[in-house]
Amino acid sequence: MKKYVCDVCGYVYDPELGDPDNGIAPGTSFEDLPAEWLCPLCSVGKDQFSEQ
Amino acid sequence: MFQYSKITNDVFYVGGSDTRIALFENVYPVPKGISYNSYLIKGEKNILLDTVDKSVFDAFLSNVVELLSGENLDYIIVNHVEPDHCATLEKVIKLYPTAKILCSAKALGMLKQFFNDDIEQYIQTVAEGETLSTGTHTFSFYMAPMVHWPEVMVTYETSNKILFSADGFGTFGALNGNIFADEVDFENKWLDEARRYYTNIVGKYGPQVQALLKKAATLDVKYICPLHGPIWRENLGWFIDKYDKWSRYESEEDSVMIAYSSVYGGTENAAKILAGDLANLGFKNIALYDVSVTHYSYIIADAFKYSHLVFAVNTYNNGIFPSMDMLLRAIKEHAIQNKTIGIIENGSWAPTAGKQTIEILSSLKNITMIEPMVTIKSTVKEADRENLLNLAKSLKG
Repeated sequence: MKKYVCDVCGYVYDPELGDPDNGIAPGTSFEDLPAEWLCPLCSVGKDQFSEQ
Repeated sequence: MFQYSKITNDVFYVGGSDTRIALFENVYPVPKGISYNSYLIKGEKNILLDTVDKSVFDAFLSNVVELLSGENLDYIIVNHVEPDHCATLEKVIKLYPTAKILCSAKALGMLKQFFNDDIEQYIQTVAEGETLSTGTHTFSFYMAPMVHWPEVMVTYETSNKILFSADGFGTFGALNGNIFADEVDFENKWLDEARRYYTNIVGKYGPQVQALLKKAATLDVKYICPLHGPIWRENLGWFIDKYDKWSRYESEEDSVMIAYSSVYGGTENAAKILAGDLANLGFKNIALYDVSVTHYSYIIADAFKYSHLVFAVNTYNNGIFPSMDMLLRAIKEHAIQNKTIGIIENGSWAPTAGKQTIEILSSLKNITMIEPMVTIKSTVKEADRENLLNLAKSLKG
């Protein structure tokens, strides 16, 4: 599964790790993140992420 | 002593201006000062929108106390937690401990960082699109992450049709009695400072500003109340259009800005020769800056404004001269786009600054780099003079 980088702050979404602090289980692909999921560091939306 | 201003029958300006401050954020010169805006809405419930910087706290508090005249403060809406607005929040909540602080979830965590965990007991977080009705007044909250911090939200008040826009639509400059943009000569006396404020402070986050503008376009806005600078109640479209241009990185002036760094005058001479050649070719309003003389924030503002940029860069310690290096990195950090760029480099034995300048600027989007760059060694010679004229012609296109 591909990693995605936040264009604004550089946070990397790693599907293997997920985002457990915000209810995203490890193993969740970027595509399967809910539409309302936000960058855990700077709060911008999925549309501000690029494939790493 | 209090001095508040009326915006509508029940909405009041309770902020203040600091005219002694030298550097805003300890970075930006503010020769005309800066205002820290806060707003109080009176009604069945009394609501404060944001607090102020420490420097104007006494004036602000006098206004709040006078307007409340013994009534309770029920809510404090925190659109932005940056300390130029929020440093005094804890003092206010200690004075009005039954008030609820309304802010975004992200703001809660940041308020605990700036203050401590105790602040949480006063806080009620709000989510995108959530509303609060207090009788006459209804507030809707819209998240505006990275305009210009992650926790930022804006608040829309329906009965007066006011958008409380946080740092968006703000500007440097103290308020001198007049609180409305239509009561001052904004275009001639404020616009340059508004651009310098926007480009330096929010300029990096163009896509996020665009997202906010799209949300705001769905609201019927009659007033824009920002956290710095005058309030908008006329010609909102004119200022929104400026924000739209700036956040799309669209140039406003089809001309050339030249920024140069120079030790003994060789690079300065080259920059001034180019400026004269450009004028001879018909360019108007050419901007020319010595980066060691003019604070970089003014040059960033013009880098957004002008369609063509020239960097005349001298080599120093086998790198780029320090004040120019700082400017170039600031240009890169602000993600400026859609420019035609020319480079003049100087070096008395090993000119390398031009190549390093190109490396720094390589991440910028939609840039046309004029090649070849002009290289001079120490001073401008006959052949260089010709190359400078050719650069001017290439800029003219």
